[in-house]
Amino acid sequence: MSAPSHTSGALVALVALALLAAGCGGAGTLSAKSLSQESKSLQSLASEGALLGRNAHAGRTTRIFTRVHSEELYKAASKAATSLRAAKTEPKLEPKLRNLTYLAGKVSADLKRLGHASKTEQALLAHELELAARTLE
Amino acid sequence: MSVKNVLAVALGILSAIGGFVDIGDLVFNTQAGATFGYQLLWVVVVGVVGIIVYSEMCGRVAAVAKRPVFDLVRERVGFGAGLGTLIASQIVNLMTCAAEVGGVAICLQLLAGLPYRALIPLAVVALVLSAWVLPFEWIERVFGYLGLGLLVFAVAAIKLHPDWERVAHGFVPGHHVGGSLLVYLYFVVGLLGAAMTPYEVYFYSSGAVEDGWGLKELGLNKVTSMIGYGLGGFLSFSLMIVAGTLFPPRNIDPQFLGTPPLAAADALGQVGLLLALVGILFAVGGAAIETCFSGAYNTAQFFGWRWGKRERPAAASRFTLAWLVIFALAFLVVMTGYDPVKLTEYSVIFSVVALPLTYLPILLVANDRSYMGSNVNGRLANVLGVVYFVVILAVAVAAIPLLLLTNGGQG
Repeated sequence: MSAPSHTSGALVALVALALLAAGCGGAGTLSAKSLSQESKSLQSLASEGALLGRNAHAGRTTRIFTRVHSEELYKAASKAATSLRAAKTEPKLEPKLRNLTYLAGKVSADLKRLGHASKTEQALLAHELELAARTLE
Repeated sequence: MSVKNVLAVALGILSAIGGFVDIGDLVFNTQAGATFGYQLLWVVVVGVVGIIVYSEMCGRVAAVAKRPVFDLVRERVGFGAGLGTLIASQIVNLMTCAAEVGGVAICLQLLAGLPYRALIPLAVVALVLSAWVLPFEWIERVFGYLGLGLLVFAVAAIKLHPDWERVAHGFVPGHHVGGSLLVYLYFVVGLLGAAMTPYEVYFYSSGAVEDGWGLKELGLNKVTSMIGYGLGGFLSFSLMIVAGTLFPPRNIDPQFLGTPPLAAADALGQVGLLLALVGILFAVGGAAIETCFSGAYNTAQFFGWRWGKRERPAAASRFTLAWLVIFALAFLVVMTGYDPVKLTEYSVIFSVVALPLTYLPILLVANDRSYMGSNVNGRLANVLGVVYFVVILAVAVAAIPLLLLTNGGQG
């Protein structure tokens, strides 16, 4: 019976170490890699929103599809914006985090408007989302 | 072969093409195309050949020995290991079924605009009614034919003018450009898993037994598995080519079921969008019924219950109850609000882990003269069967570590 108890003991220690390591990072603290990942996923959302907006403006999508799909994109962007607002990072990455938080807010606001936008607005929002996607590159 | 037979074979092939793509193919082919362009097209070829090899074996075993897969699993690997296989396959079946049900609700939402949560029960009721009311061949045909709407992605692929030279290069395995090696390998595993999902062979072999296949259906088995799955793979190529053309220049990482139809809209307008949505709706709906039946087939065959869609529900009551319970559980899983796309990614990767347990008994029985007589595997079937089994073992070992190391392909 001693081998299994050693194993489970080691397992508990490992889990405790992992939790400790995770805790050391602090809740919501973003590394350069995490910031870059957040930026990439936000860029994807902005770019997909731009594609949707352009196609909606050109009459290539249905109104329902535009509303439902832009809402999905908005939910994801808004979730990212909320978590970025609460996040902390090391001092030298602060400007990047601030910029990303601002862009996340802007992208999510544009995506929210896209679902109910008129044809003219759709073109404008598509352009703005495209610019945001380029800024995030 | 008479005209009537040719027509029957053609209709069977058409429904097999339409029924080939499920939510796993949709998610992995689109994401792989967006991440690596056309570079992973060769994996689809490998996966399609694999499913052809093993489906042909399954159909042959069903036609000759009149035994479906799970009947053989218990007999060949024993009760304990068989029960392990049953539990593993049921977990994967349930996850897949839930993902497909979620996919149906999302498609309905994109078509009708009603709230997603209200559409989940509607989707489940519609699927249960279809499964209850429609005869076996009609389930295959209705969902298979309407799933052919996915052919819109083949037209979209042409309309988007991809670089065909680069597309051709994608069919040759080689070193990859862009993305990390681990993410590349994750998609190799995912695409193989999506093409060779275990429920497809369970359903195929049980369906062959239900259809009362005998020796004279051996030719039909070859034709259906080779042409049906082969042409079904064509839909996977189309999805990857469309995604590989449209998304990488825009850095779009598709995380929603609405993204592939958006690509069809970009190429073909509203007609393209609607055909894509209807195609996805029926392909995914058909797969939901297939996964559900597969789960019920496996359980009934393992425990020796009376089973079959052709049986009256009261005559095969435990089988009927089993598929109703799977639908009910899938409904509960989707109602938790868990993202069906994420669920698909997990279900495909976990199904890869269960692949060897599914395919080993088939390979063993297809080689066993006491079951198969003179219809045992030929040299080609054996070479391919063994090579694929080694590939399956390798991807089964790598699947979970790759899922964790790449954070589900996110890098």
